[in-house]
Amino acid sequence: MIHVPTQRARCVLAAGLRLPQMKSGGVFKQENAAHLGAVAARELLLRTGIPTDSIDEVIVGCVGPPQDQANVARVLSLRAGVPESVPARTIGRNCASGMDAVTSACTLIEAGRGDLFLCVGVEVMSQYPLTYGPGMTAMFERLSRARTVGARVAALATFRPKFLAPRVALMEGLTDPVSGMIMGRTAELLARDFGITREAADRYAMTSHHRAAKARDSGRFAREIVPHLPLGAKEGDLASVHDDGIRDDQSMEGLAKLKPYFEKPDGIVTVGNSCGITDGATALLITTPERAHELGLTPLADIRAWAWAGLEPSRMGLGPVYATALALDQAGVAMSDISAIEINEAFAAQVLACQAAFASDSWAREHLSRATRLGEIDPAMLNKNGGAIALGHPVGATGARLILTTAIELAIVDGELGLASMCIGGGQGGSMLLERSRA
Amino acid sequence: MNEKFQALMPADAPPRGTCIRLERPEPGLMLLVLAPPHRKLAVLDLALMADFETALDEVAKEKPRALVITGREPTSFAAGADLEALVKIEDQALALELGRYGQSLFQKLAHLAAFKVAAVGGPVPGGAFEMALACDRIVLADHPSSRIGLPEVQLGILPGWGGSQRLPRRIGIPAALDAILTGRLFDPKRALRAGMVDRLTWPEYLVRVASDIAMGRMRCSRFDRGASSWMVDKNPIAKAIIRRKVTADVQSKTHGHYPAPLAVIPLVIAAPSTRIEEGLEHEAQALARLMISPVCKNLVSIFRLSEEAKKLGKLPSGADARELHSVGVVGAGVMGAGIAMLAAQKGFWTRLSDVERAPLDRALLLHRANVAKDAKRRRLPINEVNAAIDRLGAGVGLKEFSGCDVVVEAVAERLDIKAKVFGELAGMLPADAILATNTSSLSVDAIAASLPHPERVVGMHFFNPVAQMPLVEVVRGAATSDEVVHAIAKLALKLGKTPVITADKAGFVVNRLLGPYLDEAARLFEAGVEVERIDRLAREFGMPMGPMELLDEVGFDIAAHAAESLEKAYGARMASSGFLKRLLDAGIKGKKSGAGFYLHGKDSKGKQRVANPAVARLLGSARVPPQDLTDAVMLDRMFMAMLNEAALALEEVVIAGPRELDLATVFGMGFPPFRGGLLRWADQLGTREVLARLQKISSAADIQTRGPTAARFTPAPLIRKLAEQNARFHDVAS
Repeated sequence: MIHVPTQRARCVLAAGLRLPQMKSGGVFKQENAAHLGAVAARELLLRTGIPTDSIDEVIVGCVGPPQDQANVARVLSLRAGVPESVPARTIGRNCASGMDAVTSACTLIEAGRGDLFLCVGVEVMSQYPLTYGPGMTAMFERLSRARTVGARVAALATFRPKFLAPRVALMEGLTDPVSGMIMGRTAELLARDFGITREAADRYAMTSHHRAAKARDSGRFAREIVPHLPLGAKEGDLASVHDDGIRDDQSMEGLAKLKPYFEKPDGIVTVGNSCGITDGATALLITTPERAHELGLTPLADIRAWAWAGLEPSRMGLGPVYATALALDQAGVAMSDISAIEINEAFAAQVLACQAAFASDSWAREHLSRATRLGEIDPAMLNKNGGAIALGHPVGATGARLILTTAIELAIVDGELGLASMCIGGGQGGSMLLERSRA
Repeated sequence: MNEKFQALMPADAPPRGTCIRLERPEPGLMLLVLAPPHRKLAVLDLALMADFETALDEVAKEKPRALVITGREPTSFAAGADLEALVKIEDQALALELGRYGQSLFQKLAHLAAFKVAAVGGPVPGGAFEMALACDRIVLADHPSSRIGLPEVQLGILPGWGGSQRLPRRIGIPAALDAILTGRLFDPKRALRAGMVDRLTWPEYLVRVASDIAMGRMRCSRFDRGASSWMVDKNPIAKAIIRRKVTADVQSKTHGHYPAPLAVIPLVIAAPSTRIEEGLEHEAQALARLMISPVCKNLVSIFRLSEEAKKLGKLPSGADARELHSVGVVGAGVMGAGIAMLAAQKGFWTRLSDVERAPLDRALLLHRANVAKDAKRRRLPINEVNAAIDRLGAGVGLKEFSGCDVVVEAVAERLDIKAKVFGELAGMLPADAILATNTSSLSVDAIAASLPHPERVVGMHFFNPVAQMPLVEVVRGAATSDEVVHAIAKLALKLGKTPVITADKAGFVVNRLLGPYLDEAARLFEAGVEVERIDRLAREFGMPMGPMELLDEVGFDIAAHAAESLEKAYGARMASSGFLKRLLDAGIKGKKSGAGFYLHGKDSKGKQRVANPAVARLLGSARVPPQDLTDAVMLDRMFMAMLNEAALALEEVVIAGPRELDLATVFGMGFPPFRGGLLRWADQLGTREVLARLQKISSAADIQTRGPTAARFTPAPLIRKLAEQNARFHDVAS
């Protein structure tokens, strides 16, 4: 899809914040998507002090909303104290749902259908359910239709112990049903394509942890995180202030000890060089420069361009390259103009593959029909504060977090353009170009 | 109707025959509607009762198949008996006749040949419920405003229009005793479960459903309490056990100060095995005795005062005060956290802040635990639990307060800190956002002094523990506007509290009166009186806890600080003995430090309170209290000191009048409700007696040698004046 630039309203990221991202099954395990997202949203609303009744819509990205929160956006919105008159919808684009919340808002602003949107990305992977398989489901169905005792007994008699084997929503969600590949295996495929070694992947992962630890200790993350005391906290517990996936003393030796998780024995993708399963929420306020000014808000960044792209599902990890190419063309800028880059670290091998593709003329000719490569990425500027390998990847939330992190980083490095990009299970990529606000 | 009742007629009684409307919606069905033109919510005053009697006669003459009794609206039936008439009755014979009159009307109703259905909703307390109980079926509107029960005992009387007889017949002795002795009002679901009503329906369908039931088109069986309950109600052994147990419970709770619950127990227990006429006669006799008792008058007085306080939610012009939606609280200490938790539970979006994160986390956890507890007790659905939790947010800093309609500060009691917090808030909040201070010892004016728009600065003084203490002092500063004062009073009401408006004088009302009272208690202790004896005296007087226990609860640091600020403001008569200071120096702070006058450690839990030996040691050699320190003298020392200060406060117009002051003493310090409040108690003693007692205390040897503090017993000019005229405190105009 090519986004055609015309004379249209400009969009800005007026404000944003996130909660700390916590390992699944850990501190946030008793949270739920609506509550976690509502806390982030409410903090943002209070901090900005905007009149909540003038919000045009609440848009929430969430991959696996809990089954008792149909349209989790609406539940979240009301629980955050947004007035009942403001509509809300839930958006799904797999790992990029949080980013799609923002681009959906931008689309509406550009179409003149509003100019103030509360966008939230949220995921509580801790609460992904286990479900019964079709055998058990069929038995319950027969049971519910049985009218006589005999029929009931007959229905129960169809039970087989294997019915008890649960279907794990998390694993099924992370598997692309078209290619039949679980995400980790798509990364293995890229490692083979680009000749990425285990050592390179591990080194990348180690750097991610060290960079994240530094960002945490320097107060860099305090600029985006608000502390959160989760549901289920016990007496004496204190609010979580930092992401808890960061391993300060991550060593190459430690990483080397891990066995390949997805493809034994020759694979290179381990749990150590992949992103963690995580709970988190990010809230962003998307509006126009004029409206931001009216509300007394100084935008964090302008949204200069964005694009979605599709590719082979089995090589979904290269999505950022495809989508970035589109976004650069839209904005009429080059990679060399960019001074802060976030590419989501689904897998170290996948980010390294993207880097290689960005830097390759032949790959660009073959896959993007471009004469030359998009441009090399300076590793120092890529994911400067670590990424999902250290911070975790709460799937619905990450897209929004990348935008927030990039916008703040852009201001810190005093650059002009920033790029937030991510690969998407099922074979897509999403990229957004942010620009320092001129306001 | 009896001629003697003329005096009890409401002053604004409408012409005869206008209070009840009889409708004939279909052949065979009559609808009796309580619709008195002079009341928004019907009251069973004599005007209405007289018309009700006439209407019943008409129904009896017409002999319809069915009769439905209902209110003007599905959620507006009647508020029960007329308290104005109740307070006027001083004569036991008249009281007896009034009771019998009400009984006879409801008997007449019960004896009608028609099938009678009461279609009620909204508040259905006391007499209104007794009217419904005389019908064959009761249908209640399923609406949040619906509350049904027999609260008479709370007013020092008993359900005297058949309630004590018909309720146990309907729901059994144990359930009826529970309902009548607690006097609580039941919500629709609980009322149905308890069998107080037979069916619930939506308010919109109330009259239709009741009519269908009355006409036999719809089945509705009467609440059946099953065989097990019969085995209780007709079983003399079970009844004897219940009687002993319940009587002992009531005794231990009321210390014999409240005659009504004791009078009602035998009536209820005997009801199922007594002929109704006989039971009604016993009921009428008991009611008449209670009705003329001072306890009843005092309780009714407090009830009316608390009802009057609800009017503070309106401006003097009668317009509604501003509605506040979102509340900010600065300072997450005990008070701040308590206020924030209460606001969130009562439906306000609430933001709590502090300079540190840890107290915020403690407050959030406590809030969640409280909500969970409340949810369990009241069986709240999960969505309400979630909402109550969601409504309380917390964070360091004040940035997130920008949308608050009102911010209550509960930071450290230091003028510079409070002024800084309000200064910062004043800079970021719109000019109409209210800044309320929970200070107990600083002046509202001083806090407001340097702020722009001082008219929006006000005191909102809660008491500790916030969740339990029912009073809020709304402190009007020199510049505070009426709009702000009443908006805060309205907020207090929404938080379930009773507001009183006070002037910006040190200690306001409650703490000012507590000052000399607590200090006298401490001085008695210093003189060698055992701590248990002092507390026992106060408890026997009717206080919920003794002064020494209260000091332990409050904490000596806070009590000493309060005493200091009182002394600074009022001089020597407020000077404290300094004993608390000595305890503080020894590291004894009260309950929060594990020990005060009593030990509060974990091992002392559940057992009898044990005096703290360390305190006695501080006193030095064992002292023997002077012989003339009798119980009566000690009580007078404490309460006359309080009363004398109250007279001064009244003269200074710290509070609107004697009635408001009484309300503040009952709700703010637990002054015994059956005494009607401090000044009502004094009036019942007589101001001459009060003057005499003060003079007697002043002349006591140890007071004479006490120094300038003895001035607290120098009779206030107001007391001298009233004694001279043999007038009452309550004659002082509000």
